[in-house]
Amino acid sequence: MKKDLSIYIHIPFCDHKCIYCDFYSVITLEKVDSYLKNLLTEINFWAEKYKEQFEVKTIFFGGGTPSFMSPEYLGEILSEIKTKFFVSNDCEITMETNPGTVDKAKMIGFKAAGINRVSIGVQSFQPDELKFLTRIHDRKQAETTVLNTVEAGIENISIDLIFNLPGQTKSQWRRNLEAALSLPIKHISPYSLILERGTILNKMVLDGKVELQDADYDADLYDLTIDFLSKNGFEQYEVSNFCLPGYKCNHNLAYWRYKEYLSFGTSGHSFIGNKRWWNFSALTFYEQAVQTKGFAVSGEEELTEKQMEDEFIMLMLRSEGLDPDQLKKRFNSLWFEQNKVFLDELISNGFLAGENNFIKFTPKGYAVCDEILSKMY
Amino acid sequence: MNKIRNFCIVAHIDHGKSTIADGLLESTGTVTEREAKSQLLDDMDLERERGITIKSHAIQMRYKSNAGDQYTFNLIDTPGHVDFSYEVSRSLAACEGALLVVDAAQGVEAQTISNLYLAIDAGLEIIPVINKIDLPSAMVDAVKGQIIDLLGCEEDEIILASAKDRRGIPEILEAIVNKVPAPKGSDEEPLQALIFDSVFDAYRGAVAYIRVFNGVLTEKSDLKFFASGIKYQAEEVGILGLRKIRTKELRAGNVGYLIANVKDVHETKVGDTVTHFKNGAPKALPGYKEIKPMVFSGLYPTSSEDYEDLREAIEKLRLNDAALTFQPETSLALGFGFRCGFLGMLHMEIIQERLEREYDQSIVTTLPNVEYYVFTKTGEKLIVDNPSEMPDAAKIDYVEEPYIKAQIVTPSEYVGSVMTLAMEKRGTYKNTHYIDPTRADLQFELPLSEIIFDFYDKLKSISRGYASFDYEFIGYRESDLVKLDVMLNGEPVDALSVIVHRSKAYEYGKKVSSKLKELIPRQMFEIAVQASIGTKVIARTTIKAMRKNVLAKCYGGDITRKRKLLEKQKEGKKRMKQVGNVEIPQEAFLAVLQLED
Repeated sequence: MKKDLSIYIHIPFCDHKCIYCDFYSVITLEKVDSYLKNLLTEINFWAEKYKEQFEVKTIFFGGGTPSFMSPEYLGEILSEIKTKFFVSNDCEITMETNPGTVDKAKMIGFKAAGINRVSIGVQSFQPDELKFLTRIHDRKQAETTVLNTVEAGIENISIDLIFNLPGQTKSQWRRNLEAALSLPIKHISPYSLILERGTILNKMVLDGKVELQDADYDADLYDLTIDFLSKNGFEQYEVSNFCLPGYKCNHNLAYWRYKEYLSFGTSGHSFIGNKRWWNFSALTFYEQAVQTKGFAVSGEEELTEKQMEDEFIMLMLRSEGLDPDQLKKRFNSLWFEQNKVFLDELISNGFLAGENNFIKFTPKGYAVCDEILSKMY
Repeated sequence: MNKIRNFCIVAHIDHGKSTIADGLLESTGTVTEREAKSQLLDDMDLERERGITIKSHAIQMRYKSNAGDQYTFNLIDTPGHVDFSYEVSRSLAACEGALLVVDAAQGVEAQTISNLYLAIDAGLEIIPVINKIDLPSAMVDAVKGQIIDLLGCEEDEIILASAKDRRGIPEILEAIVNKVPAPKGSDEEPLQALIFDSVFDAYRGAVAYIRVFNGVLTEKSDLKFFASGIKYQAEEVGILGLRKIRTKELRAGNVGYLIANVKDVHETKVGDTVTHFKNGAPKALPGYKEIKPMVFSGLYPTSSEDYEDLREAIEKLRLNDAALTFQPETSLALGFGFRCGFLGMLHMEIIQERLEREYDQSIVTTLPNVEYYVFTKTGEKLIVDNPSEMPDAAKIDYVEEPYIKAQIVTPSEYVGSVMTLAMEKRGTYKNTHYIDPTRADLQFELPLSEIIFDFYDKLKSISRGYASFDYEFIGYRESDLVKLDVMLNGEPVDALSVIVHRSKAYEYGKKVSSKLKELIPRQMFEIAVQASIGTKVIARTTIKAMRKNVLAKCYGGDITRKRKLLEKQKEGKKRMKQVGNVEIPQEAFLAVLQLED
């Protein structure tokens, strides 16, 4: 029996850099063609190594802005993967897109190329917020992109929204959620605005040009989000992920269920067995490496059994919850016994819900998940 | 013996004691310039870094006078900090003369005065020197005036020097010959040698630095130390050049070292007298005192598994430090640790720093406190050096605390501010003496507990750095003191208990609780911070529950980064101390030190 594999492809190209973004991206298009060639080389390299053991269950085009490329571009990558790997018939193939980069005809092209799930970086429906975030679209374009996607025959649609923007009130945020749910979407990822190092926003905050709202307000908005979405039939299955029944993102679930994955392109991380490795982030290094060696690994680590157990627990608790039997089977773990007192305390204080020996965070627990994890053995 | 001169140098910090010493050593050919790095006498790194002499040493020089006679000079260095004033007094007792060095730009300072008084009390002949006369800001005439006023000497007795370029050094050497009396005493009398310092040598045990007053100390002779009463044999005897020079005997009037197979410095006590076991002197030399720590603090390992390492490190430091005391103690908040006694704040800081730097120990220190005498209603006298051991208020008749006499020299425009500061610190004003029309020497009596943390810093800041300060212990006095406890969610945190004056308790309680609110991170539940005297809560505040702590994004497979963040957080938690269910960062235990007005 073949093991499940997920594949991530990073498309680093964008037409501009948003102030809050810390993903690796470039805003020139001159390297687009050579990048494709390198991706194909890399796919071949890793396929030779791992093809036999795995069946590909999910593919994810992230960025950057993958939809900035032509359907043929992504199509060529997909057909290379399908030729070189065993790809399952029901493989989930997601593409990230930004409103304003795709019209209906192009979306039909992506569908034809094999894309069956679309994640749209809407972030907000309000003009002043979009302007602050330096997004190029407006509310109308965001809505049109969703509708175009549906009309192109892709109904598995997710949107990203950002909350706790400077000055954002609760009612403003609620209006964003309402606008989202008025659209035919199946999945929503609402994030709290994170200040990442090296971003333009970070500098603006350091320079005192922007003032962030405090953690308590953030918590209020987060509570509001969970409450609003659950009342509207969305299930929370991770800190920042909600969906209608049957529409969890399989690709992200694969990360959180500690499955194996390969990544192609700049800055991608791969995880097979007890090894994790990552590619060069800078495009020039990436290209140089692939052209000389066929791959572009810039660093790797071999995980100890303990590190793997820690990661497994962290990821499962962050998402769908932890099954003790599964943990025991995989790691021969004493974790439950060691944390018994603390776990019981968390349950009685409403941070964790425990059913049939299966534990899952409550909304209150998700909000302080990192604090709780750091107190575990 | 009439060709021996024993002397020391007294000066305020940074007035150039060490450069004068270097100048003398070079001019007499004791060391070459290359050997004389700078500040030769301070050989501990930490000392050099802090620019102060902590432990005294001695060095012998040969000098041929202008009259053509050959002299032996013993320069005995004195510790330059008030924490070590007893050691200063013993070093002075080993001399017949002292150079009084005053900086030409700074003038007479508090330490100049207090050390000068010690030297005069010890009956020393004083040679006044104004140093750094080459400085553009030198005010030689004014400083001359101050010295004349202080000493009652003639203007032409004051030597003008610039030790950096060796100006004045020849005059100083001649003055030592002509003004410092030769030692008195006799080789024929029974042996009396004063220990003025002792250091620990890993191979030889304790090395005592001594001044022989009477008799002859020879190797192989059996010795008695008066204070410890124990018998030792003199193993090696010699003089102190740049290194130890073995001479097999030391005669009356001379200064040198003694190695007698003594295992650590606690048996070669500073101030003790050495004599022969048989036919010894009937009496010790006067002035011996048991060194007593004045400031106490709990030292705890950051993680409890390092307890034994910390014990070993403190024990090693104690081998070389007769003033450091320690005993195991347990704190509910901090676990197993040690209550250590120090001569003063500087001594405490030095020990902490050496533990961290030289012994790689990571430690949590509790708020330092003084030692209290508690008299109970049943007539008992308890000595309390840890606030958490203070008995219940109902059982206490009265409490006494140590007082000091403070000497503060300040430019006259800051006299008002200095007065105000001293009053805030519960001081009693004694008198003022004007050193010259622009500078006053003020005397106060103050509780020691009020000056151990921030007094000096405050004094410096209210006087723009110009005021200087020195103090001496004068005894115990009754005070209206109460024990103030801190509770987190109802659990007392013993390591945060303090003893304060009743008039200051309310304000202190308010400050400490708001400081803790600032320093204890929000946790998953609300934390009540309370300060109380007995069962009466006098201040309270609340640390609200943490409501959000989660990284929103975990994608792209970069789980390594997420795990490392988590590992770092876990590390951080490990360094926290747990009281009840509350995690307290280490800084919080010292927070009480940083309470601002």
